[in-house]
Amino acid sequence: MPAFPTTIKLAGAENAVTIEWSDGHLSPYAYGYLRSKCPCATCAENGPPSEPGTSPFPILGRRPLKPERAELVGRYALQIYWSDGHSTGIYTFDFLRDLCPCPECAAQRAAAATG
Amino acid sequence: MKISPQDVLHALATVKDPDLNRDIVTLGFIKDLEVTDSRVSFTLQLTTPACPVKDQMAAQAKQAVEALGVRDVQVRLTSQVTAAHGPQLELIPQVKNTVAVASGKGGVGKSTVAANLAVALERAGARVGLMDTDVYGPSIPSLMGSNNQPRVVEGKIEPPVEYGIKIISMGYFLPKDEAVIWRGPMLHKAMQQFLGEVRWGELDYLIMDLPPGTGDIQLSLSQTIPLTGAVIVSTPQDLALAVAAKAITMFEKLRVPILGLIENMSYYRCPKCGHREDIFGHGGARAAARKLGYPFLGEIPLDPAIRVQSDGGKPVAMDETTPYGKAFREVAGALAAEISKVNAQAPMNIRLE
Repeated sequence: MPAFPTTIKLAGAENAVTIEWSDGHLSPYAYGYLRSKCPCATCAENGPPSEPGTSPFPILGRRPLKPERAELVGRYALQIYWSDGHSTGIYTFDFLRDLCPCPECAAQRAAAATG
Repeated sequence: MKISPQDVLHALATVKDPDLNRDIVTLGFIKDLEVTDSRVSFTLQLTTPACPVKDQMAAQAKQAVEALGVRDVQVRLTSQVTAAHGPQLELIPQVKNTVAVASGKGGVGKSTVAANLAVALERAGARVGLMDTDVYGPSIPSLMGSNNQPRVVEGKIEPPVEYGIKIISMGYFLPKDEAVIWRGPMLHKAMQQFLGEVRWGELDYLIMDLPPGTGDIQLSLSQTIPLTGAVIVSTPQDLALAVAAKAITMFEKLRVPILGLIENMSYYRCPKCGHREDIFGHGGARAAARKLGYPFLGEIPLDPAIRVQSDGGKPVAMDETTPYGKAFREVAGALAAEISKVNAQAPMNIRLE
């Protein structure tokens, strides 16, 4: 069975979502990074928002980007409601694991890309 | 010789549950143990009333204690169905397990299998619901001979009960010959209402009859609740199995455990001469299960009586003396055992904060 999250903290570190996995791995995801990787159809088509966190109404000023809340989707994914109003991305656990930005996983990805 | 409760537990620890592969003491199956000078009595609490080896285990437990020299050993059999662990069950908190009955292709007898599995589980003593998620072609009310209508009581839908099973289907809400012509978002809404707005009460198993394929309804269900698992129904021929493999791939992607494969229309035995004819081939689903590494739950023969009784609203699983009634009971037992296994293995508990 592939690893699944045991604890997901929306504010697990400063400006970061943290996920503890069933195999003991810990993944910290900076808000901006996670938002920029949104897998929803709109973001996949148009690319991620150029400046994550920018309000469509600049007059209201900038609000810092963060997850307002999140929901689990069935047994396989996480849906995040971002402070910029975006919520259509369904981040599957497999996808999140692949995104893990920790130095170890990043090195593995780099090795896989060149190897 | 005086026998202590520890002696008895020690003896009972030699008996294993063949499905969960641990001894019955470690599993916590032994309840209400009473030991007096000449008499030992206890309750053996299994994880499902449909357990296929319950009598075997009870006999082994009795023998193990008798081997200590106790002449009077009383074993009481009960069951407490284990619940699927998972997040987000607010929608149906009293339903312990949700099982999707799915297939790749249509016409493999998925609804007939779902209805009869529900009946077989209920007859074994479980509390069962049957949800017809095939919004376009609902067939459960007719298979279950249901002429009752759901009623709305205090803003919730009270499901009709047939053969002891709570049933919900789009078939109840549509005039005959009327069609549902919907796109995805409406289907999603319907599924949420079938789960959240229906007074299911306490259930051990909610069996869900899915439409064929890998579309909106399958995805909606898998997203709305953490399904305990999925059962794949197929006929034996290569083409049907090739498409069944796609349904399996979908559930794997959605991380829904595959509880096993069932071969329907497995063979035909001529009622006149007893000759057996493998109309669609035979054993294909068993071979596919082995290849993919999933349990094979059993085979259901092709018999005109199944068609006749299904059309008449009398599920064949009601009569276990027939070959097909017996087949359904065995498949239901194997399914219940797999559910217990999944619940024992993978307590998926995600904390979200």
